[in-house]
Amino acid sequence: MNLTQQTPQVKKKLVKTLKTSQKLKKIMAWYFIKGKIYSTLPWKHTAWSTSGFPTEFLWAYDVYPFLPENCATIAAARRKSQELIEYAEACGFCRDLCSYFKTNIGAYDAKLPAQFGGLEKPDLMTCTNTVCDTHVKWFQIQSRKMNVPLFVWDIPAYVSGSDEKVMNRYLDYITDQFWEFTDFIYDVTGKKFNRNSFIKTIKKADELAVLWRELFEYRKQIPAPLGYADTLGDVFPMFALPGVNKGIKFYRELVEEVKEAAKLGKGVVENEKFRLLFEGIPFWYKIKFFHQLADFGAVVTYEPYTWSFGVRREIIDNDIDKSLREMAKSLIHTPYWYNLETRIEYFKKVIDEYKIDGVILHNNLSCRPSTTTMADLKQVLQDELDIPVLLLTCDMNDPRAFSEASMQTRLESFIELLESRGRK
Amino acid sequence: MCHMESIIAYFDSSHDLPEEILMAAGKHPFKILGDIHTPSDPADKYLFETFCPAARSILTEALRSSKNWNGITVAHGCDATHRQFDIWKRHVKTPFIYFVNNPLSRTSKSSRKFYKIELEAFIQALEQHYNVEISKENLQHAIQTSNQVKLILQKLGKLREIQDIPNREYFEVCKMAVQENKLSLIPKLHQKFSEWQRYPEFPSDFSKILLTGSDVTYPEFMVLLDKAKLRVVRDDLSIGERYYAALIPDMEDPLDALIEYQYLIPRPSTKHPADSRLEYLVEAYKSSHLEGILSQNLKFCEPYAYDSVWLSDTFKTKNIPAIHLERDYIAEDQQMFTRLEAFKELLDSQRRA
Repeated sequence: MNLTQQTPQVKKKLVKTLKTSQKLKKIMAWYFIKGKIYSTLPWKHTAWSTSGFPTEFLWAYDVYPFLPENCATIAAARRKSQELIEYAEACGFCRDLCSYFKTNIGAYDAKLPAQFGGLEKPDLMTCTNTVCDTHVKWFQIQSRKMNVPLFVWDIPAYVSGSDEKVMNRYLDYITDQFWEFTDFIYDVTGKKFNRNSFIKTIKKADELAVLWRELFEYRKQIPAPLGYADTLGDVFPMFALPGVNKGIKFYRELVEEVKEAAKLGKGVVENEKFRLLFEGIPFWYKIKFFHQLADFGAVVTYEPYTWSFGVRREIIDNDIDKSLREMAKSLIHTPYWYNLETRIEYFKKVIDEYKIDGVILHNNLSCRPSTTTMADLKQVLQDELDIPVLLLTCDMNDPRAFSEASMQTRLESFIELLESRGRK
Repeated sequence: MCHMESIIAYFDSSHDLPEEILMAAGKHPFKILGDIHTPSDPADKYLFETFCPAARSILTEALRSSKNWNGITVAHGCDATHRQFDIWKRHVKTPFIYFVNNPLSRTSKSSRKFYKIELEAFIQALEQHYNVEISKENLQHAIQTSNQVKLILQKLGKLREIQDIPNREYFEVCKMAVQENKLSLIPKLHQKFSEWQRYPEFPSDFSKILLTGSDVTYPEFMVLLDKAKLRVVRDDLSIGERYYAALIPDMEDPLDALIEYQYLIPRPSTKHPADSRLEYLVEAYKSSHLEGILSQNLKFCEPYAYDSVWLSDTFKTKNIPAIHLERDYIAEDQQMFTRLEAFKELLDSQRRA
């Protein structure tokens, strides 16, 4: 089967997305407008923040979170990322650096509107190093340039072989830093920590995570009523709106629709043949790839990347300290940045639960932290689980790393391999 | 001489590992630097070629040589250290492997508290595994020894400004400091100092420069600089000044002293905030009356690549002649040499002006 030949022949609107997913545009527009308002009103505050940092902690202070990574994905989807990346490279940043970072450098300097991936100068910046050191370097650069205060939440690396004792030491450090974060917010905004507002926001964020996880439960069904082509967009509220009512309402509707489809045995792909797991960040400039999988009867039914945004952070016994300690665990230990030992066990579990036929690993050229242990993971999947693996060397936001012809050939061979094995 | 069986090798992307704790345990700390002349085939099975070539070479050395070591420790530095630890733990055969964590953030009170707890845990792990006692006295003794090494290295480093000390020789001395047994090293360094004092005066056709960026782990790059008549008389590298610029302070609690020391050394780009790195470079440039700054990063070494634009822009605004280069992990680099020559010409034209 040939992707480029087939797409024009089929001429369908890619894979049918869920009806509720169409409402996402309105939610995003609401979020963008709110950002504009918060940036304009002198008594409101805005922040830049990274994935890995609990966005709900900002909402709890009524601080609006701009998310440069999310903005970068928008720029890529709007086919703007390449020129922004090339601009950053002309400034001196080398090709090997994070393409989200370079997109952000370009988008901010070009003063792009929000719908193209632009974002306003914030009052403060927050980040962690839990996903990568890049977040820290990126925000050092931008905070220095804009003269904006930066809070770095230092999350220790929970390497293979770490035990409960190690975890407890790390939890102490992380919770200590939470109180330093509240001091930082107070220094910049004058806002004191409000226990009730914090608890209320965290509960809402958790409700959002519960709904997000419920969606994943339905994806275990054959055929899967929901695929990556939907979730890569639908994850947006989990990323930007934890603790905000808008996201909850949207996810409730989404769950209802998916639940109904599951009840009727309606798959997101007609005649589902292969169930795939995709590891890594998608190619945001080529999301068509995930839709086109349907042409082969394939659907991505599980991806650790979007699941990782749905980590539950609960309020336990109305006790802030106890709750913070539990929340801290999620900052250390989440599927997207699991250590190798946990990652392998985790993959074994989800491959079984989601009845996965094959795995696509994205060797993301500008996200080395996420690909560091991929070679071992690939070997375990193939040797121990007898699961076919397709390793794609590409980039999340830089289209120059995407070779259409090569991707097509590799994907076709992979599908042929899956076909030769049949569904187990 | 230290016996082979008492060597604990370490993977450290900067100068983060407290060698003194290993010394206090009666061990010989040995920094793994890799070998540019050995293909990294074994490591390439586990790390794609888009990863730091130095880290791949270091892993290759560990895969080949771990049988000669009594254990391995990995210090938290750049992303490579903790992400790749998992690969080391899975594939490198060794009776003891330990990840020594330390805070990335160097601003908060909590980071010092965390640091101390991590060092205590490291001590406990060594004591349990090797059945040794790491007493306060042992630690203080190790600190004294370490400071003796640093003091003589400071004197050697200073000589670079006035004598004709080839870049390679300076590199080899700094390499000895992180690989040889400290006690046997001290007389060798004194000997070196006597020798270097007798070296000819600084050659007038060479330019005095500061070298910053990714750590240089092989001498060939230093030789290339000499070939271009660029003499490194200051640096902030881990196989260099970062290792000896500061002494470990005299404090009641030796662990407090080791932590304080880490806040005093020239800051690597892997720690936050990075601003003191720039301060060190500018101060070194001014105080040693240098002609220029050579900033470089090894291919795929992200932390220094991120800092490069900020540094270059700042040097420009301060009228400091500087260049930033990306370096491949190769022994012979003609393209690099051409760029170094161009930099030398720039410095010569400044000199003439």
